[in-house]
Amino acid sequence: MIKVEHLSKTLGGQKVLNDISFEVATGEILIFLGPSGIGKTVLLKHLIGLFQPDQGTVIVNGTDITKLSQSQQLKIRKDFGYLFQEGALYDFMNVFENVAFPLREHTSLNYQQIRQRVREVLDMVDLDEVEAKMPSELSGGMKKRVGLARAIVLGAKVLLCDEPTSGLDPIRSRDISDLIRQVAKKIGATTVIMSHDVHNSFRIADRLAILNDGAIEVVGRPQDLLSCDHSFVKEFLKPAAV
Amino acid sequence: MSFVIFKNLAGRIHAMGEAIFFLKDVLKVMFSGRVRFAQVLEQMYYQGVQSVVIIILSSLATGVVLGLQGSITLQRFGAREFIAPLVALSLLRELSPVFTTFIYSGKSGAGITAELGTMNTHEQIQATRTLGVDPIEFLVVPRFLACVLVMPALVVISELVGMFGGYLVAIFQAQLPSAIYIRQTIQSIHYVDFFSGLVKAFFFSVIVAWICCYQGFFTSGGALGVGRFTTRAVAYSYMAVILSNAVLTMFILTFWG
Ligand SMILES: Nc1ncnc2c1ncn2[C@@H]1O[C@H](COP(=O)(O)OP(=O)(O)OP(=O)(O)O)[C@@H](O)[C@H]1O
Ligand SMILES: [Mg+2]
Repeated sequence: MIKVEHLSKTLGGQKVLNDISFEVATGEILIFLGPSGIGKTVLLKHLIGLFQPDQGTVIVNGTDITKLSQSQQLKIRKDFGYLFQEGALYDFMNVFENVAFPLREHTSLNYQQIRQRVREVLDMVDLDEVEAKMPSELSGGMKKRVGLARAIVLGAKVLLCDEPTSGLDPIRSRDISDLIRQVAKKIGATTVIMSHDVHNSFRIADRLAILNDGAIEVVGRPQDLLSCDHSFVKEFLKPAAV
Repeated sequence: MSFVIFKNLAGRIHAMGEAIFFLKDVLKVMFSGRVRFAQVLEQMYYQGVQSVVIIILSSLATGVVLGLQGSITLQRFGAREFIAPLVALSLLRELSPVFTTFIYSGKSGAGITAELGTMNTHEQIQATRTLGVDPIEFLVVPRFLACVLVMPALVVISELVGMFGGYLVAIFQAQLPSAIYIRQTIQSIHYVDFFSGLVKAFFFSVIVAWICCYQGFFTSGGALGVGRFTTRAVAYSYMAVILSNAVLTMFILTFWG
């Protein structure tokens, strides 16, 4: 379970997050929707301790991660999977090594078992015959899927995804969205996704939150949001209505 | 105006503090034994290969030039037989440590900054943290340590190659007998000559490793930033080496000989 309370953060003189509070139940998928540059990435990075808040707490599975030291944070990150907006794969390692990296670091599996596990997750994200390729040889969509494979290879209890569909064609966007839902439900991960892909977010979210001006405008189930009267929300959700 | 200067100065002091904390983190990881030897070896090979050929070529050229200039100068004083000590001591005490460091920071050092900087702008350093691994341990310490181990070794290679260059000149140009030149070289070298050069090399290698890793690890500003921070790393390395060389030389001459 993730519980965020009164989170505020100022960056470069601008209040990016302004007193944000919300909860995500264990195994639930919460998607934040919001226009570009509104602070989605900044908020998501707070959930894994890459940013330290000015005020507020972030409690993940009972631990307030804002109170942990650097080395304590590293220890609990085994339970997290984080998909970066651009994948953030190591470009000096091939796909296999990238996905195997968390296994080598945090488990005592032997080479055969690692091979098998990497195959399994690459299969889950619908990639084959790419194990020997370098990240520079992959398309943007493939990089994201490898990034997702790396994020879930340890069986993330908490899955955080930053714009998994931005820059992808509509079909790939749909596929990767479905995939994230499928994988998250399969491993029972508590999932937070940042997105401005209204259409797919409505398809896969358990709950949606709309982010604007550093605050949450509304939060609720997809069907509730469609009947919401808030003007910004209505404007933002137009594409979903058609 | 004075406000701008003050702000600039404050920024410099802040960066200096950041750099010192960075070094502290690196040393802490190293001395707590969290060293990944496979990666260190890989980096040693990689950094060494990048620089070794230019270092050999320029050391040879330096040795030849020292031999030529030395034989002309010494001939005027009728002291041609001192060419061997001149070449050997210049290389050991001064030229090899300094030149090797310059070349190394321009090639391998710039490589370190550019690599770490690119990783930083592509969020690979942050990604390392999200994977529960300390990026200092995984990405910085192997590069740092490799630099500190490889550079002094290259300095020794440079000294040998340089002396060989001087030998060639002495034999073929100044017509000195080979055996005498070699004997004179060996006799003229004292412990202090060799080891003071090595001490310098070690200091310089730490400076280059520190500056280049730090600039790379804190690169910002995208692809443009990688270029800016890399040139800055090399320029700072040069300045730091020239200045610390003056200080070190004074210390060594005062307390050692
Ligand atoms: N490290 C930083 N230093 C200063 N300002 C920052 C930093 N990171 C983000 N910001 C600012 O915070 C705001 C929110 O950025 P963020 O990256 O979270 O947006 P986003 O919602 O993820 O946008 P996008 O959809 O384009 O990815 C932006 O105005 C940005 O300029
Ligand atoms: Mg973003």
